[in-house]
Amino acid sequence: MSGATGGLSAPERIKRGKLSKRKKRKRIGFALDMTPLVDITFLLLTFFMFTTTMAAPQVMEMSIPPEVDVQIEVKENELLTLRLRNDGKLFWNMANDEPKPVEIKDLRKIAETENLRPEIQNKLITVFKVSDDAKYGDMIRVMDELNLAEIKISEVITQKKDDKGNPEKRKRKFTLAPLDTADVSLIRGL
Amino acid sequence: MPKVKKKRLSFVIDMTPLVDITFLLLTFFMFTAKFKTEAESQQKFFIQRPKVTADTSKIPERNLAIVKIAIRDTVDGVVVNDTTYNYELINESDRQQVWASLEGLPEKMKAKPMLENISLDMLSTVIRNTRITNPKTMFAIDADRRIRYKWVWDAMEVMRKNRATIFNYVTEKKSGL
Repeated sequence: MSGATGGLSAPERIKRGKLSKRKKRKRIGFALDMTPLVDITFLLLTFFMFTTTMAAPQVMEMSIPPEVDVQIEVKENELLTLRLRNDGKLFWNMANDEPKPVEIKDLRKIAETENLRPEIQNKLITVFKVSDDAKYGDMIRVMDELNLAEIKISEVITQKKDDKGNPEKRKRKFTLAPLDTADVSLIRGL
Repeated sequence: MPKVKKKRLSFVIDMTPLVDITFLLLTFFMFTAKFKTEAESQQKFFIQRPKVTADTSKIPERNLAIVKIAIRDTVDGVVVNDTTYNYELINESDRQQVWASLEGLPEKMKAKPMLENISLDMLSTVIRNTRITNPKTMFAIDADRRIRYKWVWDAMEVMRKNRATIFNYVTEKKSGL
Protein backbone atom coordinates (compact mmCIF):
# COMPACT_ATOMS: atom_id res chain seq x y z
CA MET A 1 0.00 0.00 0.00
CA SER A 2 2.64 2.45 0.93
CA GLY A 3 4.47 1.84 -2.29
CA ALA A 4 1.57 2.92 -4.44
CA THR A 5 0.50 5.97 -2.58
CA GLY A 6 3.83 7.54 -1.89
CA GLY A 7 4.11 9.68 1.16
CA LEU A 8 0.43 9.92 1.71
CA SER A 9 -0.20 6.51 3.10
CA ALA A 10 -2.18 5.84 6.20
CA PRO A 11 -0.31 5.63 9.44
CA GLU A 12 1.16 2.25 9.90
CA ARG A 13 -0.95 0.35 12.25
CA ILE A 14 1.00 -0.53 15.30
CA LYS A 15 0.25 -4.04 16.18
CA ARG A 16 0.23 -4.83 19.79
CA GLY A 17 1.58 -8.15 20.80
CA LYS A 18 4.73 -9.88 19.86
CA LEU A 19 5.86 -7.28 17.37
CA SER A 20 5.76 -4.41 19.82
CA LYS A 21 8.53 -6.00 21.70
CA ARG A 22 10.90 -5.27 18.85
CA LYS A 23 13.08 -2.40 19.68
CA LYS A 24 13.77 -0.93 16.27
CA ARG A 25 11.49 -1.15 13.32
CA LYS A 26 12.32 0.30 9.97
CA ARG A 27 9.76 2.84 8.91
CA ILE A 28 8.45 2.27 5.46
CA GLY A 29 6.14 5.24 5.00
CA PHE A 30 5.24 8.20 7.02
CA ALA A 31 2.08 10.18 7.27
CA LEU A 32 1.89 13.88 6.81
CA ASP A 33 -1.33 15.62 7.60
CA MET A 34 -1.92 17.66 4.49
CA THR A 35 -5.21 19.19 5.57
CA PRO A 36 -3.89 22.62 6.65
CA LEU A 37 -1.80 22.84 3.52
CA VAL A 38 -4.76 22.10 1.31
CA ASP A 39 -6.89 24.54 3.30
CA ILE A 40 -4.49 27.39 2.79
CA THR A 41 -3.92 26.52 -0.84
CA PHE A 42 -7.62 26.54 -1.56
CA LEU A 43 -8.00 29.79 0.28
CA LEU A 44 -5.30 31.42 -1.81
CA LEU A 45 -6.67 29.85 -4.97
CA THR A 46 -10.13 31.24 -4.42
CA PHE A 47 -8.66 34.62 -3.50
CA PHE A 48 -6.70 34.88 -6.72
CA MET A 49 -9.55 33.50 -8.76
CA PHE A 50 -11.92 36.16 -7.51
CA THR A 51 -9.60 39.13 -7.62
CA THR A 52 -8.06 38.56 -11.01
CA THR A 53 -9.52 40.29 -14.02
CA MET A 54 -9.24 37.98 -16.96
CA ALA A 55 -10.38 39.97 -19.97
CA ALA A 56 -7.91 42.82 -20.06
CA PRO A 57 -9.39 45.76 -21.91
CA GLN A 58 -7.80 46.71 -25.18
CA VAL A 59 -7.71 50.08 -26.85
CA MET A 60 -8.47 51.63 -30.19
CA GLU A 61 -6.22 54.53 -30.99
CA MET A 62 -7.71 57.73 -32.27
CA SER A 63 -6.22 61.02 -33.18
CA ILE A 64 -8.19 64.12 -33.86
CA PRO A 65 -6.77 67.24 -35.51
CA PRO A 66 -6.17 70.18 -33.19
CA GLU A 67 -8.44 73.15 -33.58
CA VAL A 68 -7.86 74.77 -36.95
CA ASP A 69 -9.99 77.32 -38.68
CA VAL A 70 -8.26 76.96 -42.01
CA GLN A 71 -10.52 75.49 -44.61
CA ILE A 72 -8.92 72.68 -46.51
CA GLU A 73 -9.84 72.27 -50.15
CA VAL A 74 -10.86 68.75 -50.92
CA LYS A 75 -11.61 67.24 -54.29
CA GLU A 76 -15.16 66.03 -54.22
CA ASN A 77 -14.48 62.77 -55.98
CA GLU A 78 -11.93 61.86 -53.34
CA LEU A 79 -14.43 61.98 -50.55
CA LEU A 80 -16.20 59.05 -48.97
CA THR A 81 -18.91 60.12 -46.60
CA LEU A 82 -20.39 57.86 -43.96
CA ARG A 83 -23.38 58.97 -41.98
CA LEU A 84 -24.64 57.25 -38.86
CA ARG A 85 -28.23 58.11 -38.05
CA ASN A 86 -29.74 58.24 -34.58
CA ASP A 87 -31.49 54.89 -35.07
CA GLY A 88 -28.16 53.19 -35.78
CA LYS A 89 -28.59 53.03 -39.58
CA LEU A 90 -25.50 53.71 -41.63
CA PHE A 91 -25.43 55.47 -45.01
CA TRP A 92 -22.55 55.90 -47.39
CA ASN A 93 -21.86 57.85 -50.54
CA MET A 94 -19.01 58.90 -52.74
CA ALA A 95 -18.63 62.55 -53.67
CA ASN A 96 -22.12 63.96 -54.25
CA ASP A 97 -23.94 60.72 -54.86
CA GLU A 98 -27.15 59.87 -53.12
CA PRO A 99 -26.52 58.29 -49.72
CA LYS A 100 -27.18 54.57 -49.76
CA PRO A 101 -28.01 52.51 -46.68
CA VAL A 102 -25.55 49.80 -45.70
CA GLU A 103 -25.34 47.30 -42.88
CA ILE A 104 -22.43 48.04 -40.58
CA LYS A 105 -21.01 44.55 -41.10
CA ASP A 106 -20.93 45.08 -44.89
CA LEU A 107 -19.04 48.33 -44.66
CA ARG A 108 -15.65 46.68 -44.90
CA LYS A 109 -16.16 45.66 -48.54
CA ILE A 110 -17.26 49.14 -49.54
CA ALA A 111 -14.32 50.76 -47.79
CA GLU A 112 -11.96 48.35 -49.51
CA THR A 113 -13.32 48.80 -53.03
CA GLU A 114 -13.61 52.58 -52.78
CA ASN A 115 -10.14 52.97 -51.29
CA LEU A 116 -8.57 50.75 -53.91
CA ARG A 117 -9.96 52.39 -57.01
CA PRO A 118 -6.88 53.05 -59.13
CA GLU A 119 -7.52 56.74 -59.77
CA ILE A 120 -8.01 57.72 -56.14
CA GLN A 121 -5.86 55.17 -54.40
CA ASN A 122 -4.30 56.49 -51.20
CA LYS A 123 -5.98 59.83 -51.72
CA LEU A 124 -9.45 59.02 -50.51
CA ILE A 125 -10.62 60.90 -47.47
CA THR A 126 -13.17 59.23 -45.24
CA VAL A 127 -15.54 61.50 -43.40
CA PHE A 128 -17.58 59.88 -40.69
CA LYS A 129 -20.54 61.89 -39.52
CA VAL A 130 -22.26 60.66 -36.42
CA SER A 131 -25.59 61.80 -35.08
CA ASP A 132 -25.57 63.09 -31.51
CA ASP A 133 -28.23 60.56 -30.62
CA ALA A 134 -26.54 57.55 -32.16
CA LYS A 135 -25.19 54.96 -29.81
CA TYR A 136 -21.49 55.14 -29.04
CA GLY A 137 -21.27 51.37 -29.47
CA ASP A 138 -22.50 51.63 -33.08
CA MET A 139 -19.96 54.31 -33.83
CA ILE A 140 -17.17 52.08 -32.54
CA ARG A 141 -18.47 49.19 -34.65
CA VAL A 142 -18.17 51.34 -37.76
CA MET A 143 -14.64 52.37 -36.79
CA ASP A 144 -13.79 48.73 -36.22
CA GLU A 145 -14.95 47.79 -39.71
CA LEU A 146 -12.88 50.62 -41.19
CA ASN A 147 -9.87 49.38 -39.26
CA LEU A 148 -10.43 45.89 -40.63
CA ALA A 149 -10.66 47.22 -44.17
CA GLU A 150 -7.31 48.89 -43.59
CA ILE A 151 -5.54 45.52 -43.59
CA LYS A 152 -6.29 44.83 -47.24
CA ILE A 153 -5.94 48.44 -48.32
CA SER A 154 -2.47 48.87 -46.89
CA GLU A 155 -1.43 45.49 -48.22
CA VAL A 156 -2.26 46.50 -51.78
CA ILE A 157 -0.83 50.00 -51.49
CA THR A 158 2.48 49.03 -49.91
CA GLN A 159 3.12 46.64 -52.78
CA LYS A 160 3.32 49.53 -55.19
CA LYS A 161 6.54 51.43 -55.69
CA ASP A 162 6.93 55.17 -55.85
CA ASP A 163 9.25 57.06 -58.28
CA LYS A 164 12.35 56.24 -56.28
CA GLY A 165 11.51 52.59 -56.05
CA ASN A 166 10.57 52.65 -52.37
CA PRO A 167 7.37 50.98 -51.32
CA GLU A 168 4.53 53.41 -51.04
CA LYS A 169 3.25 54.28 -47.62
CA ARG A 170 -0.40 54.12 -46.76
CA LYS A 171 -1.67 57.54 -45.83
CA ARG A 172 -4.89 57.19 -44.01
CA LYS A 173 -7.13 60.21 -44.07
CA PHE A 174 -10.03 60.03 -41.75
CA THR A 175 -12.08 62.59 -39.96
CA LEU A 176 -14.95 62.65 -37.55
CA ALA A 177 -17.65 65.25 -37.84
CA PRO A 178 -21.05 65.89 -36.31
CA LEU A 179 -24.14 65.21 -38.36
CA ASP A 180 -25.62 68.60 -39.19
CA THR A 181 -29.17 69.43 -40.22
CA ALA A 182 -28.35 69.29 -43.93
CA ASP A 183 -27.14 65.73 -43.49
CA VAL A 184 -30.17 64.79 -41.46
CA SER A 185 -32.55 65.98 -44.17
CA LEU A 186 -30.47 64.20 -46.81
CA ILE A 187 -30.96 60.81 -45.21
CA ARG A 188 -34.46 61.36 -43.92
CA GLY A 189 -36.90 58.67 -44.90
CA LEU A 190 -34.27 56.39 -46.40
CA MET B 1 -18.23 -19.60 5.11
CA PRO B 2 -20.05 -16.71 6.72
CA LYS B 3 -18.60 -13.39 5.94
CA VAL B 4 -17.67 -11.38 8.90
CA LYS B 5 -18.77 -7.84 8.50
CA LYS B 6 -16.25 -5.51 9.76
CA LYS B 7 -17.26 -1.99 10.47
CA ARG B 8 -14.94 0.41 8.75
CA LEU B 9 -13.74 3.04 11.08
CA SER B 10 -11.80 5.25 8.69
CA PHE B 11 -10.82 5.35 5.07
CA VAL B 12 -8.03 7.00 3.22
CA ILE B 13 -8.31 9.21 0.17
CA ASP B 14 -5.22 9.91 -1.80
CA MET B 15 -5.10 13.68 -1.90
CA THR B 16 -1.97 14.00 -4.01
CA PRO B 17 -3.62 14.68 -7.41
CA LEU B 18 -5.97 17.15 -5.81
CA VAL B 19 -3.12 19.03 -4.23
CA ASP B 20 -1.19 18.93 -7.50
CA ILE B 21 -3.99 20.49 -9.48
CA THR B 22 -4.72 23.01 -6.80
CA PHE B 23 -1.13 24.18 -6.72
CA LEU B 24 -1.07 24.34 -10.47
CA LEU B 25 -4.14 26.54 -10.55
CA LEU B 26 -2.85 28.60 -7.68
CA THR B 27 0.43 29.37 -9.41
CA PHE B 28 -1.40 30.12 -12.65
CA PHE B 29 -3.70 32.63 -11.01
CA MET B 30 -0.89 34.11 -8.97
CA PHE B 31 1.18 34.84 -12.04
CA THR B 32 -1.63 36.07 -14.24
CA ALA B 33 -3.38 38.16 -11.61
CA LYS B 34 -3.46 41.85 -12.29
CA PHE B 35 -4.83 43.73 -9.39
CA LYS B 36 -7.49 46.30 -9.70
CA THR B 37 -6.51 49.87 -9.03
CA GLU B 38 -7.86 51.58 -5.99
CA ALA B 39 -10.31 53.57 -8.07
CA GLU B 40 -11.51 50.47 -9.82
CA SER B 41 -12.18 48.62 -6.63
CA GLN B 42 -14.17 51.54 -5.26
CA GLN B 43 -15.98 52.09 -8.51
CA LYS B 44 -19.70 51.71 -8.04
CA PHE B 45 -20.68 51.49 -11.68
CA PHE B 46 -20.03 49.08 -14.48
CA ILE B 47 -19.14 50.13 -18.00
CA GLN B 48 -20.30 47.93 -20.85
CA ARG B 49 -17.44 48.54 -23.21
CA PRO B 50 -17.95 48.46 -26.96
CA LYS B 51 -16.90 45.18 -28.49
CA VAL B 52 -14.43 45.15 -31.34
CA THR B 53 -12.31 42.57 -33.10
CA ALA B 54 -9.25 41.37 -31.28
CA ASP B 55 -6.37 43.78 -31.24
CA THR B 56 -2.95 43.54 -29.72
CA SER B 57 -2.85 47.07 -28.41
CA LYS B 58 -3.25 47.08 -24.68
CA ILE B 59 -4.11 49.92 -22.43
CA PRO B 60 -0.98 51.67 -21.06
CA GLU B 61 -0.27 50.96 -17.43
CA ARG B 62 1.43 54.21 -16.51
CA ASN B 63 0.95 57.88 -17.35
CA LEU B 64 -2.66 57.30 -18.12
CA ALA B 65 -5.74 59.39 -17.59
CA ILE B 66 -9.12 57.82 -18.16
CA VAL B 67 -12.30 59.71 -18.86
CA LYS B 68 -15.04 57.33 -17.86
CA ILE B 69 -18.42 58.03 -19.35
CA ALA B 70 -20.87 55.80 -17.60
CA ILE B 71 -24.53 55.40 -16.97
CA ARG B 72 -24.99 55.74 -13.25
CA ASP B 73 -27.93 55.26 -10.98
CA THR B 74 -26.53 57.01 -7.96
CA VAL B 75 -23.64 59.28 -7.09
CA ASP B 76 -22.83 59.42 -3.38
CA GLY B 77 -26.25 58.07 -2.58
CA VAL B 78 -28.04 60.68 -4.68
CA VAL B 79 -30.14 59.20 -7.45
CA VAL B 80 -29.04 60.59 -10.82
CA ASN B 81 -30.05 57.94 -13.38
CA ASP B 82 -28.02 59.60 -16.08
CA THR B 83 -24.80 59.52 -17.98
CA THR B 84 -21.92 60.98 -16.01
CA TYR B 85 -18.34 61.97 -16.60
CA ASN B 86 -15.82 60.47 -14.23
CA TYR B 87 -12.09 61.02 -14.27
CA GLU B 88 -9.31 58.77 -13.11
CA LEU B 89 -5.55 59.26 -13.09
CA ILE B 90 -3.32 56.22 -12.78
CA ASN B 91 -0.14 57.81 -11.42
CA GLU B 92 -0.74 58.41 -7.75
CA SER B 93 1.68 61.34 -7.42
CA ASP B 94 0.15 63.07 -10.44
CA ARG B 95 -3.28 62.45 -9.07
CA GLN B 96 -2.49 64.14 -5.78
CA GLN B 97 -0.99 67.13 -7.54
CA VAL B 98 -3.83 67.52 -10.00
CA TRP B 99 -6.55 67.05 -7.40
CA ALA B 100 -4.82 69.61 -5.18
CA SER B 101 -4.63 72.07 -8.04
CA LEU B 102 -8.39 72.08 -8.50
CA GLU B 103 -10.05 74.99 -6.84
CA GLY B 104 -13.33 74.47 -5.14
CA LEU B 105 -12.98 70.74 -4.95
CA PRO B 106 -14.70 69.54 -1.79
CA GLU B 107 -12.30 68.20 0.82
CA LYS B 108 -13.81 64.73 0.84
CA MET B 109 -13.36 64.39 -2.92
CA LYS B 110 -9.66 65.20 -2.67
CA ALA B 111 -8.94 61.88 -1.03
CA LYS B 112 -10.87 59.92 -3.62
CA PRO B 113 -8.99 58.19 -6.41
CA MET B 114 -11.64 59.14 -8.94
CA LEU B 115 -13.49 62.37 -9.64
CA GLU B 116 -17.12 61.43 -9.96
CA ASN B 117 -19.92 63.05 -11.88
CA ILE B 118 -18.01 66.12 -12.98
CA SER B 119 -19.17 68.82 -15.38
CA LEU B 120 -17.62 69.45 -18.79
CA ASP B 121 -15.98 72.64 -17.49
CA MET B 122 -14.48 70.70 -14.65
CA LEU B 123 -13.32 68.01 -17.08
CA SER B 124 -11.61 70.67 -19.16
CA THR B 125 -9.81 72.06 -16.11
CA VAL B 126 -8.73 68.63 -14.96
CA ILE B 127 -7.39 67.68 -18.38
CA ARG B 128 -5.49 70.96 -18.65
CA ASN B 129 -3.98 70.54 -15.19
CA THR B 130 -3.10 66.95 -15.95
CA ARG B 131 -1.23 68.00 -19.05
CA ILE B 132 0.62 70.70 -17.10
CA THR B 133 1.54 68.27 -14.32
CA ASN B 134 2.66 65.45 -16.57
CA PRO B 135 2.87 66.21 -20.30
CA LYS B 136 3.51 62.54 -21.03
CA THR B 137 0.04 61.54 -19.89
CA MET B 138 -1.94 59.49 -22.39
CA PHE B 139 -5.68 59.89 -22.46
CA ALA B 140 -8.30 57.23 -22.84
CA ILE B 141 -12.04 57.38 -23.17
CA ASP B 142 -13.79 54.54 -21.44
CA ALA B 143 -17.43 54.90 -22.38
CA ASP B 144 -20.45 52.71 -22.14
CA ARG B 145 -21.57 51.39 -25.52
CA ARG B 146 -25.21 52.26 -24.79
CA ILE B 147 -24.75 55.97 -24.25
CA ARG B 148 -25.55 58.72 -26.72
CA TYR B 149 -22.63 59.64 -28.93
CA LYS B 150 -22.98 63.29 -27.95
CA TRP B 151 -21.40 62.58 -24.58
CA VAL B 152 -18.30 61.19 -26.25
CA TRP B 153 -18.20 63.97 -28.81
CA ASP B 154 -18.35 66.63 -26.09
CA ALA B 155 -15.54 64.94 -24.21
CA MET B 156 -13.47 64.78 -27.39
CA GLU B 157 -14.08 68.47 -28.03
CA VAL B 158 -12.86 69.25 -24.53
CA MET B 159 -9.76 67.18 -25.16
CA ARG B 160 -9.18 68.86 -28.50
CA LYS B 161 -9.35 72.28 -26.85
CA ASN B 162 -6.72 71.16 -24.37
CA ARG B 163 -4.45 69.83 -27.10
CA ALA B 164 -4.92 66.23 -26.08
CA THR B 165 -5.51 65.12 -29.64
CA ILE B 166 -4.23 61.57 -29.47
CA PHE B 167 -6.14 59.26 -27.25
CA ASN B 168 -7.55 55.78 -26.99
CA TYR B 169 -11.01 54.34 -26.86
CA VAL B 170 -11.11 51.57 -24.32
CA THR B 171 -12.76 48.55 -25.88
CA GLU B 172 -13.29 44.92 -25.21
CA LYS B 173 -12.52 41.92 -27.33
CA LYS B 174 -15.49 40.56 -29.21
CA SER B 175 -16.16 37.03 -28.09
CA GLY B 176 -15.99 34.36 -30.71
CA LEU B 177 -13.87 34.60 -33.85
